[in-house]
Amino acid sequence: MRESGRRILAVAANTFLEAVRQKVFAVMLIFALVLLGGANYFAEFSFQEQFKFLKDLGYATISLTGLLVGLLGAAQLIPAEIERRTILTALCRPLRRWEFVVGKYLGLVFLLGTMLAIMAAGFWAVLRWKEAQLVGAEGTEAAMIQAIQAEARDARLWQAFWLVSAKLFVISAIAVFFSTLATSTTFVVAMTLMVYLIGHLQSVAREQWLESGEKVGWILQAFLAGVAFLIPDFNLYGLIDEIVAGNAVQWRATLEVMAYSVTYVFVLLAAAAWLFEGRDL
Amino acid sequence: MSRTPSLVWGCLLILAWGACKLPWEIRMTRQQRMATVGFTGPTAVAVREKLGQGLVLAALGGFRGLAANALMLEAHAAWEEQQWVRVRSALELATLLQPRVALFWDLASWHLAWNAAVAAERYGGQSSETKRRIEARKWTEAGRELLERGTKAIPEKSLLFQRLGDLYWQRLEDYQAAAACYQEALTKGDAPPYLERFVGYALEKAGDSAGALAYFRRLRLSMGNPPDPARKPEIVDREIERLQSQAQGSSGKNHR
Repeated sequence: MRESGRRILAVAANTFLEAVRQKVFAVMLIFALVLLGGANYFAEFSFQEQFKFLKDLGYATISLTGLLVGLLGAAQLIPAEIERRTILTALCRPLRRWEFVVGKYLGLVFLLGTMLAIMAAGFWAVLRWKEAQLVGAEGTEAAMIQAIQAEARDARLWQAFWLVSAKLFVISAIAVFFSTLATSTTFVVAMTLMVYLIGHLQSVAREQWLESGEKVGWILQAFLAGVAFLIPDFNLYGLIDEIVAGNAVQWRATLEVMAYSVTYVFVLLAAAAWLFEGRDL
Repeated sequence: MSRTPSLVWGCLLILAWGACKLPWEIRMTRQQRMATVGFTGPTAVAVREKLGQGLVLAALGGFRGLAANALMLEAHAAWEEQQWVRVRSALELATLLQPRVALFWDLASWHLAWNAAVAAERYGGQSSETKRRIEARKWTEAGRELLERGTKAIPEKSLLFQRLGDLYWQRLEDYQAAAACYQEALTKGDAPPYLERFVGYALEKAGDSAGALAYFRRLRLSMGNPPDPARKPEIVDREIERLQSQAQGSSGKNHR
């Protein structure tokens, strides 16, 4: 078990270092930081609107960059190794296939985690910058300063950050799952994006299938059931919007969505490892 | 290892997980909905509404906030150009995309019931004043409808009930309705302290001076002893005194 862990960590470290060397991820990170900084320039509006714009743009930037990193990173993990034949060298060593899959995923998680941490620090800095600007421009009253600080230092933003991260880790696991099946990166990117989009409609399909009581044909029923069974419900992460809107969200609800994400990642990795075991290389 | 058993096991695992996750997802969705909109659903209307939102959502891939902000910016630009129909459609869509953002409902109703209505009344193309007033009333009603929907979307916050009260007071001159809205806002727990006095002012403005006096007395009693200075007990005392002397004056007149 310990040996297994060591091998998984070696694959993860190697994957992480390989990804860090690729310029595309650095460019993405710079682009994201520029976008986050640019979000500060909505100065024509009330301070509540400015913070709303800033938070929305901040989370959208983090989500979009994370999505691209997860997609491109995972898409290159296994198909590129197979294409370059380097996978054969790796698997010649005492390394099991499931260890290879888990190690690759963990490497991707390290990369994503590092980028998310840098973007979160950038976002935090922009929020404090906005706070200083607004306090300088409008804050003559104590109540106004307090209101501005409450918006900028809202602890609930951490809840939203953890939810964004959990969502991105699930998307990366989906991409890893497809990369164990695929031979091309385009297939992985296309399939993962499709699941990502359908995932935002999964709850609608599920409710239409189980709870609406409407009579529909069996083909449609089977389709709705398939979507409900196979696709994750990305609407559960809608709590992020609630937090940005300034509404209270319980930590219990956040933790439950995170537990759901972790379980989903485990299942996807187990299925990916199983599929990869039987794959001809 | 042969490919078929692994593939079968992989697929079986996903299906088994699907069967396990469904009840979990249903429970979490219900809990989240209960916490945010106060019902567990789905009702027929909720399903239909969600379908509309869901389709937009799928196209946007979860970046609803960004799209809603873009619409607010478009509404802002249209407002600067006084293009009220464009303002309205952009705002309606923004509130559809993010119905839980109180700020959007507030801004949208302000644009329609105040800006668009006043523009129609003062600078509308109609030469007849009656027609201009009818046009203004239409915009005010549009703002009111929007706020009514907003209060249903965010029933746990006071802001939109307060704004609805302001609209009834300032735009529709229906002071009884304004008092009812302020009272509803006060039940939410996050209303500003001055709002509790506005109920009394609205009742008086509606012609119910006795009701206003009774309300201010109840309010003063609810402040306890010693009262919280933030609730301005001295203003309430002054109002009670004023309404009492008014009542005595009018009863004296009636007696004579």
